[in-house]
Amino acid sequence: MKKRQTILYLLPAVILVTVFFIFPLCYLIYVSFFQWDGLGPKVFTGIENFKYVFSDAIFRTAVKNTLIWIGAALLLHIPFGLILALLLNRRPRGWKFLRVVYFIPNVISTTAIAFLWYFIYHVDVGLLNNFLKTAGLKGLAHAWLNEPGTALPANIVPFAMYVGLTMVIFMTQLSTIPTELYEAAVVDGASRLQVDLEIYLPLMKPAVITNIMLNLAFCLRTFEYPFLMTGGGPANSTMNLSLYIYKEMVGANRYGVSMVAGLVTVLLGFVVMMFVQILQKERGKNDAR
Amino acid sequence: MHGRKKISPLVMVFLVIILILMLIPFLWLMLSSFRPNADLFNEPFGIPRNLSFDNFKEVMESHPMLLYFWNSVLVAGLATIISITAATLAAYAMQHRFMSRKLLAIVFSMCLFIPTNAFMVPYYVIINKMGLYDNILGIALVYAGVNLPMSFMVIKGYMDTIPKELTESARIDGADCGQAFRKIILPISKPGIVTACVFLVINSWNELLFANLLNQSDSSRTVQVAIRSFLTTFEANYAHAFAAMVISILPTIIIYVLLTDRIIDGMTAGAVKG
Repeated sequence: MKKRQTILYLLPAVILVTVFFIFPLCYLIYVSFFQWDGLGPKVFTGIENFKYVFSDAIFRTAVKNTLIWIGAALLLHIPFGLILALLLNRRPRGWKFLRVVYFIPNVISTTAIAFLWYFIYHVDVGLLNNFLKTAGLKGLAHAWLNEPGTALPANIVPFAMYVGLTMVIFMTQLSTIPTELYEAAVVDGASRLQVDLEIYLPLMKPAVITNIMLNLAFCLRTFEYPFLMTGGGPANSTMNLSLYIYKEMVGANRYGVSMVAGLVTVLLGFVVMMFVQILQKERGKNDAR
Repeated sequence: MHGRKKISPLVMVFLVIILILMLIPFLWLMLSSFRPNADLFNEPFGIPRNLSFDNFKEVMESHPMLLYFWNSVLVAGLATIISITAATLAAYAMQHRFMSRKLLAIVFSMCLFIPTNAFMVPYYVIINKMGLYDNILGIALVYAGVNLPMSFMVIKGYMDTIPKELTESARIDGADCGQAFRKIILPISKPGIVTACVFLVINSWNELLFANLLNQSDSSRTVQVAIRSFLTTFEANYAHAFAAMVISILPTIIIYVLLTDRIIDGMTAGAVKG
């Protein structure tokens, strides 16, 4: 392939990456040192934006909530995804159908799912409160999205519906494990549970790492739930990083501040990447042994 | 083969409970979209009566839903064409040796880890500078860019499995680079390209944040943004909101039913490769 041809083939992708990744990153760093309302001139203010953001209690809540999201996502998805994958791997009747249905929420827009749950939590017409009333547990009914104590958990619960993606990734890994292993164990008189725990589980480490990475990336991007269900409220109790960036930009017109928060999010993304790299290196070492 | 007989009933019950928990919200949504608003308020748990298509009719009449729908189709289509073309060409170029190949590969894979939500302001500024604010092409371009690293990884991953001898033998037969690409690499890479396309179409159809940020008027409003406005403007008429939601998720459900395996592949391939 001639040099000119190579450049020609690469050009569209390189332009897209430059315009939508490299330039935005530089711009983010540059403008974070300016006070800017999005329309008027940019005023250089040094590290004022950084000072503002790091002393802002709402920003701290946003970071804290993003970390809670990550923790909750991992706790919900990894164990349940693994259990479901191991169970479907036993090939019960209709396992293909179950796999397809468990995955459905992943193809439906977060907007629709967030809305759906907004109505499920609704004080009057919602599925949840009506269920509690019918079950004679009226005392447990809440204005789920309007109380600071319940709003954040209520925001996170719908996330459990995405367990199908984690499950499928575990299943893909399971399908690479030779069946001879299973058959040999059965001949030796191992129970199905023993096979799962002692043979399959230890071999699932690569998929666990993939799933951790995926969940972290998802949580850093989560925007729709707080945006649509609570708007970050009540009393900013459901604010997260994406929504903070959005609100500082669209609501408050503090573009510089918004970009500092964006920078923090990008840095968190890089921390995630480093973390995954280290885990993968560890894995490489273990495999070599 | 795995033993099919020894599944305990307890496991089956557990799996079915999860199945029901997954489906109830959607079934409730479907059912509610056929019920009159008054019934939803007065007896949300009552036996559904008076089922009709009225909500759908009214939503279509009161809002330019067809236009929003068409906008979403255009955005998803354009984004997919732009992103997949760029990704496929670049993935092919990467099959050859050149100086900055390693560097490029690193840049592309690093982009995968950037949470693009952080780029709200830059994208807003870039699209405005291009004169594409409140324009379908502006939204499509952002999607094409944001999803490029993922489509590139998926397609390159597929091309990497093609034996080098295939292209080399074509070169010996006198084909130039472009011909080898069109006649040999492209047809063989088709499954990888289709997987990436599916991923892009679904993601573009479902995206809300940037579509909302870059939209002002009906002319560029996507279905997702339209649904969002239902919460603010249709506060009292939930039946309408339900109907609109059903309309918005129907296409993805249909594609999913038709192309189940491709979609599951597409949504997980990127993740596993990344």
